[in-house]
Amino acid sequence: MALIAIIDDDPDILDASSLILQTKGFEVITASNPDDGYKIVKENKPDVIILDVIMNEPDDGFFLAQKFRREKIMTPIIMYTSISKTLGMQFDKGEMVPVDEFVEKPISPEQLVAKVLKFVKQPVEK
Amino acid sequence: MVSYSKAKILVIDDEDALRGAVKRILEREGFSVVTAENGARGISLGTTDEFDLALIDLKMPDYSGLDVLREIRKHKPNTVCFIATAYASYETAVEATKMGADGYILKPFTPEELLNHLNSGFKKRVLILEAEALKNEREARLLEIAFERTRLNTVIKSLADGVLVVNTDGEVVYYNNAALKYLNLQDIVIGRPILEELPREIQDLIFANFTSEITEKKSFSVEVEIKPKHELVVEATLSPVLRQSGKLSGVVIVIKNISEFKKVEHLKSQFVSMVAHELKAPVAATLGFINIILNKEMNLSREQEVDFLSRSRVRLGSLLNMVNDLLDISRIEMKTVMREIKKLDMNQIISDTLGMFTADIKKKDLTVIFEPKENMPEVRADHGEISRLVTNLVSNAIKYNKQSGRVEITCCQQKNYAVLEISDTGIGLRKEEQEKLWGEFYRAKNEFTKDITGTGLGMPIVKRIVDAYSGKIEVESKYTEGTRFKVYLPYNLTDDELNN
Repeated sequence: MALIAIIDDDPDILDASSLILQTKGFEVITASNPDDGYKIVKENKPDVIILDVIMNEPDDGFFLAQKFRREKIMTPIIMYTSISKTLGMQFDKGEMVPVDEFVEKPISPEQLVAKVLKFVKQPVEK
Repeated sequence: MVSYSKAKILVIDDEDALRGAVKRILEREGFSVVTAENGARGISLGTTDEFDLALIDLKMPDYSGLDVLREIRKHKPNTVCFIATAYASYETAVEATKMGADGYILKPFTPEELLNHLNSGFKKRVLILEAEALKNEREARLLEIAFERTRLNTVIKSLADGVLVVNTDGEVVYYNNAALKYLNLQDIVIGRPILEELPREIQDLIFANFTSEITEKKSFSVEVEIKPKHELVVEATLSPVLRQSGKLSGVVIVIKNISEFKKVEHLKSQFVSMVAHELKAPVAATLGFINIILNKEMNLSREQEVDFLSRSRVRLGSLLNMVNDLLDISRIEMKTVMREIKKLDMNQIISDTLGMFTADIKKKDLTVIFEPKENMPEVRADHGEISRLVTNLVSNAIKYNKQSGRVEITCCQQKNYAVLEISDTGIGLRKEEQEKLWGEFYRAKNEFTKDITGTGLGMPIVKRIVDAYSGKIEVESKYTEGTRFKVYLPYNLTDDELNN
């Protein structure tokens, strides 16, 4: 069964995303800061990582993503962002930002599941 | 024009008869005549009075005519002098002329000869005076221009803004030191080409001015970052200088240092994006919950729904708090707060504040120590603002305290200040956390704080209120042991000081 790691410091986002993915039959592990996030990825080798862009500091998410890639952890990364539109920043998939997909907050079940299914197969629903 | 209707003449001769005859002849011709009977008298008159002409006898018992001539020329160089002598010798004539004699009259002379000499002498005198007047006038004008130029120069040199004038050949015509500084140039030399040393943006603007037909005087501005990271940002305003013919003769560039302004602008936009992000987080969480609740496929149980709804309510409540805090901040910052300055009883405010937190104090089993001091002078301030200040500090002392901890509050008078001290036995602040404490939305994040809610605006509000009353606030803290805040509020502020 596909394992998804969610790393976000907002417990409400963490619980809501977990519930959505669990309902769709995915197995979910979570962490609420970059250090724990790094640990659960190293230990559990998830199939997809969902990562919030800002945790303790702006850019925490980016730094963690870069750290994974430097260590050749090539697991697909979906980045949660709530800032792209407010800051007028244009995120592009590319070398600068080593992530595979973006999901704009607030999350909706359809959108989140659709993005995850780009990387893993739909498990048999519970 | 200098015009003399009547020539004034000094006649110096020791021969009484001759003196009298000359005086009669000349007065008949309209001259004004003064006579001197010897050299000493002649020198005395000729060096003090202004005469057009002087007729000096060469041979006198006391002084030689040449001595008299020398003295008069020394003091009155514009008096036209004639030497009169009975025996002329070439040498004497030459010497007299060297000394500045304008003519030589041989005795005996006829009245016509005398008049001829003196009339031409008078014409010369008039010319001398006219030339003198012109010279004086010109010197005065030159002085005036020089003064004007110095003054203008001083004014431009002492301008805070940079000034650089460039002609159509791209050469420097004028500059001041501020221009040197704001363009970050080592040297500017008048008469040398400068365009290539100027920042690209200013060059472009100058070229645009040189190449386009300018029909009206219009200025253009451009912002240039001279040193990165807002260290030196200037605004260059370029105005064409037109000749009277309407042709362009050059441009004047005024360079203004706008670094501070840009820094503030940058801070402001940083603040706005920070606010936007902080506001969006609770909205995003709440909307996320609602999306799940409304999604039929999610099939939530009633308990899950209630859980998500009550969590949404908490997030929306904190959002509302944040918006209220932001409104407070902007009210204080805009200085449009209608402050109701009254004499405040600090003891009362502290007691009232503690009353509001009774439930929280009980829940955490905290010991609160506050003994009101007698005879506290009253602080003049706005009740709402000072209550807010005390509330924020007390609330933090409770929120970040440990179970069964202590909160100690004292308020006393120290010189011109009312000093409010609030200390707790809470989680404390690390050194780096203390430095960030006054920043908007800063919340210390560690294992103790993760379950404590807050807007990150409480301390910035406290700081702003303290500043508004020209007070000060100090913080002492030890991580894991506790924090002590000391607020100094000045007494005796005048109404003017309070309204600023």
